[in-house]
Amino acid sequence: MLTLLREVQIPLLAALLLGACASKFVRVMQAKSMAAGLGPTAMFPLKLRRPAAIAMCATEFGCGIGLIVTAGRFGGGTPATLIRLATGLLFLVATAALIELRSVRPDIGCGCFGEFSTAPVTWRTIARSALLAVAALVTMQLPVHGFETLSNSAGTLALLIAGELTLLALLSPEIREIMVRIGYSAPCELRVDNPDQTFAALQRSTQWRKHADLIANREPSDVWRELCWRYMAFPSRAAGKDAELVFAIRLDHHRKPAVLSALVDTATGAVLTWPATGAKHARARVRVARRAKLAYRPGAISQAERAAGQGPGGRINPPVDGQGATGFRR
Amino acid sequence: MVAAHQSSGEPDPASRPVYRAVSGEITDISPHFVTIGHVAGERRIALTAEATAWRGEPLDPSALSIGDDVVIRIIPSQSGTGIADRIWANIGRVCGTIIEAEGNRLVVAECAMREPQLVEISPLASVRIMVKAPNLRPGYLIDIIGVRHQDVLYGIVATSPQPPYRSDHVPPHRPAAGWLSDSITGSAVWHEPAHEPYGVLGVFYPAVDPATGCFEDAAAKVAPGQAQSFRELPYLAIGSALTVRNECTNMSWTLPVTGCSPTARLFNDHCVACKTSPRGRIADLTLASFVALGGELEQGCFNATLTIGR
Repeated sequence: MLTLLREVQIPLLAALLLGACASKFVRVMQAKSMAAGLGPTAMFPLKLRRPAAIAMCATEFGCGIGLIVTAGRFGGGTPATLIRLATGLLFLVATAALIELRSVRPDIGCGCFGEFSTAPVTWRTIARSALLAVAALVTMQLPVHGFETLSNSAGTLALLIAGELTLLALLSPEIREIMVRIGYSAPCELRVDNPDQTFAALQRSTQWRKHADLIANREPSDVWRELCWRYMAFPSRAAGKDAELVFAIRLDHHRKPAVLSALVDTATGAVLTWPATGAKHARARVRVARRAKLAYRPGAISQAERAAGQGPGGRINPPVDGQGATGFRR
Repeated sequence: MVAAHQSSGEPDPASRPVYRAVSGEITDISPHFVTIGHVAGERRIALTAEATAWRGEPLDPSALSIGDDVVIRIIPSQSGTGIADRIWANIGRVCGTIIEAEGNRLVVAECAMREPQLVEISPLASVRIMVKAPNLRPGYLIDIIGVRHQDVLYGIVATSPQPPYRSDHVPPHRPAAGWLSDSITGSAVWHEPAHEPYGVLGVFYPAVDPATGCFEDAAAKVAPGQAQSFRELPYLAIGSALTVRNECTNMSWTLPVTGCSPTARLFNDHCVACKTSPRGRIADLTLASFVALGGELEQGCFNATLTIGR
């Protein structure tokens, strides 16, 4: 069992070292700057940071390849012992560097796995490095086992690998960053939208059909966006005055966005009452109101009301009963 | 000056100083008064007993010279004309990407709409600046405050640690979760007025809706939504109202978004004016707004909280 545990360390250490080297390399290539991968190299004088980063990456790569090459009968004996000793020393030095980094620059990450290691160094990162140092050192003087010996204990090996990977995951702040990236979906406030598509969605909406006859010109007089809402204003007339019919279209549902509308005085910005409508329009409004009730979602409506009522810039005033502002879903 | 609305919710607005900024060229100076000429004519302003000045270093206001371009912070007085308690002389700021570097002379591109700026780092300040901005090479970002003589800025202060990346390879910093809080905290900076109207109050916001509006991006031929940015901020429009709060002075004003800030969004720095702000610049204020919020121009930034809307 103990021998198997020692046996497991070599592929794990090699994978970690090569993964760390690759992720650092990717980060440096993306940023086109050696300094981007900071980590412990931040403790070096500026002129030494670049060579220190290169040396770190080269050592990781060399040890990773060396562990794989000397794992079997080829290169066994002294070369294997030296490589494993070098790997152990690398992790011991890294542990000491992380302790120092935590006290000198507590704001920066270890940079161990490139852009995934931006969280400040904690005891978990230090413990992981120490654990890997121990893992490397216990593999010294490990005899070479044949493939048959290992395949007979495949189940135990798999369990040991799974256990150690779990332990490493618990000690790795990078896991959280990776999970966040996998599950990341940009909130609608951060998404770029296409005003043409939003206009098309508006034209499919009930609010548009209901008020389209008030629009004097189908070209919007103003288009702007705030957070999750795209606003489109169209010239209109109401009570003999110039007015603007303003639609607010929510951007988080492209096919059936929530649409609000308001009729405002162009000169003062005050909300105007909707012009009197015929029976046909009244029936349509009742239908829309029923749909709105069925599709009522407290979050969506309250946010919509907030956007329309307290919208930055005050371009749409709070909906008031009997006044020309409505807030319905399609 | 464009009127700004004082935000509600302040603990004690009456006891809070209300700052205004005026700028112009000194035409006369004495221990008790400073006279400046500006676009609206000449103005004589009394100095408080505690008034201080800055011209590359702190100095007494009476040591200022006729011909100095000054920004004066005014506090209300009983006479209603205001009195000066802080004067910055010949202060300038260059913030952008280094496009040429030769010894201590740098040419810096602020954005596609402005002429490149010439910066000469003062020999006395070069070590201090190099500590914060070690990469004085083309492609790297720089933000320097100094004393302006005609078209050259003599750099004296690097406001914050220089980003380690090139300006064309900005690593995006995504929020940890897929939602945004109602308020945004970060660093608020100021910029030189250039072609802005005199004394305008407003804020350049780094995330103006790309579909409708950042002229600087259009001039730089950046496709909508493709502009690089360190910090992702919710999209707003020119004209949106932002309540900007200076966490160091507890002063807040509601200001309109008057432009986009293609340079500020590239920076990943903290502001350490009073405490350490989260990374990234969230507002690039006009000079008058920065002063009105109690910011110290030579510090370059303050820790700010933005609330969208009034």
